[in-house]
Amino acid sequence: MSQEYDAKINLHLDINHGLDRVTELVQTRLIECGWRDQVRLACRKAITENEKHIPTVDELIATVTPKARSMVPDSVKRELLHELESILINVDKFGYSKSF
Amino acid sequence: MSIVGCQHLQSYKKTSKNKNTFKWIHAVFVVNSTSKSLKTKLCNSRCRVCKKRGPFLHACLECVFFGCHKHIREHAKSQKHSMSMDLTYGQMHCNQCHDYIYDSEIDAIANDNKMKSKTCKKRLFEIDTWNPTSDERDYLRSKTKKICITPDSTIGLRGLLNLGQTCFMNCIVQALMHTPLLRDYFLTEEHNCKGMSGRCLVCEVSKLFQEFYNGTRVPLALHELLHLIWTHARHLAGYEQQDAHEFFIATLDVLHQHCLETMPDLKPVNVGKNSRCPCIIDQIFTGGLQSDVVCQKCNGVSTTIDPISDFSLDLGPVTVGGRPPTSLVDCLERFTRAEHLGENSKIMCSNCQSKQESTKQLTMNTLPIVISFHLKRFQHMNEVKTHTKSKQKSLISSQMEKKISTTISFPEMLDMTPFMSRSKTDSPFPSDNRYSLFAVINHIGNSINVGHYTAYVRQLQDYWYKCDDHVITRATLKEVLDSEGYLLFYHKHVLDYD
Repeated sequence: MSQEYDAKINLHLDINHGLDRVTELVQTRLIECGWRDQVRLACRKAITENEKHIPTVDELIATVTPKARSMVPDSVKRELLHELESILINVDKFGYSKSF
Repeated sequence: MSIVGCQHLQSYKKTSKNKNTFKWIHAVFVVNSTSKSLKTKLCNSRCRVCKKRGPFLHACLECVFFGCHKHIREHAKSQKHSMSMDLTYGQMHCNQCHDYIYDSEIDAIANDNKMKSKTCKKRLFEIDTWNPTSDERDYLRSKTKKICITPDSTIGLRGLLNLGQTCFMNCIVQALMHTPLLRDYFLTEEHNCKGMSGRCLVCEVSKLFQEFYNGTRVPLALHELLHLIWTHARHLAGYEQQDAHEFFIATLDVLHQHCLETMPDLKPVNVGKNSRCPCIIDQIFTGGLQSDVVCQKCNGVSTTIDPISDFSLDLGPVTVGGRPPTSLVDCLERFTRAEHLGENSKIMCSNCQSKQESTKQLTMNTLPIVISFHLKRFQHMNEVKTHTKSKQKSLISSQMEKKISTTISFPEMLDMTPFMSRSKTDSPFPSDNRYSLFAVINHIGNSINVGHYTAYVRQLQDYWYKCDDHVITRATLKEVLDSEGYLLFYHKHVLDYD
């Protein structure tokens, strides 16, 4: 059941560009609240701190990700949650169950 | 100069099939241009190992494999496939170098795909690289000092020495130097002079901008500028005090002429039916004044539009005994009021082919980017004489000019919408016609020939400075708005596209 439901949700998100819309929304919000600048600063700091070796992107992701996650403002999280909830509520209404 | 990626990428690129693979994957998964590719994308864009959508979903470029950040690296290691592509931004990753790589050829393919995309994805265009030219490289290497603009920085503020009653020039120069659009024009070196050096006023102004914004704090002496003005506007020559407004108009005029003379490449800009002068001065300072003459008999309207670059506003009472204006908006209302032309000045009406009494109304057809208001504080005495004669009073003062010192209040933000011409072809969207104050010139003294000029200028959006020749002091907005005001400079708040 849960696997079926997952597939249904995924399909729903894809067909209606729901995921695209949500990603776009979150990106906009994160830029607006200054999160992106903070992360950029954190990355810069991580690069300049390590003088001997310039970190690769993968290493940078590993060091900055936990910090960046914790910096996401609660309001953005709440809005995202709300958005996802409203999408899930509408899943059955639109009834996109046809498969490719 | 082209960026060349690592050697592994070079050997990968050797086969044209591989390049096509990249192009196709980029078009489908990163740009996602057609609806058919959307289907392909949706069916495949999940990690083959953990069945999740990401984060950082990558595609292997050497076999058919999609993986999230963790699993693509594992795949590359176990299968010895070095090339993979990130599917969010389309960056290439080389697993032998353990990092993302940049390559001009790959970038060109990616850019080509982006341009063919049907929907614009902002994130794809945000990370464009800047390729400085060799000149720019050298310059950046030699100039390593950082200049930080803070509310306390004095960059852009220079005192100007008084060369014997040249305060009229100093205050106008201060106002021009702090005109945002003019500053941007000159600091980006848009003026490519083809004229004789040392003869062009535009070059002189360009030089002045460099002097103002290079961070030095020593006062400047403007003898070269003064000399150029003297040679090109003869009526201002000499060491007497001049009218700042007259100087302003003359300067704009000379600048406009020199722009056209020294830059023969300029082409007239066509806006609707009217062609506009392409020079920067007219682009910034000139608007269109519409004058509607309405015949009283047949109500026929004849409309003419004239270029206007300064607004001279009367301050005296409208009629004898009437209420004199007390604010800038009052003055503008009076300026745009329908005026009855009277019996003595009948105008030939083109509609009824006879001379008729008519009314005339002035309105703004097009607004300039910078509006300068001139409050007519100096009144010629002969006007006053006739006025006083009728009241049977004798004149007390013997001066030729009289100064009207009534307080005229002016706002920081001015909306010009009420003074615009109304036409049938107006777009349904209201345009933003707000203007913000950025410079005020004051005259201290009793007559046009004596006295002193000072200027208030706005710097860094919200900071005001009082420029009194070589002395510059910080001022408050209240001080500025409470000052008497002789010339007021407003800059358009929102710039429209032509």
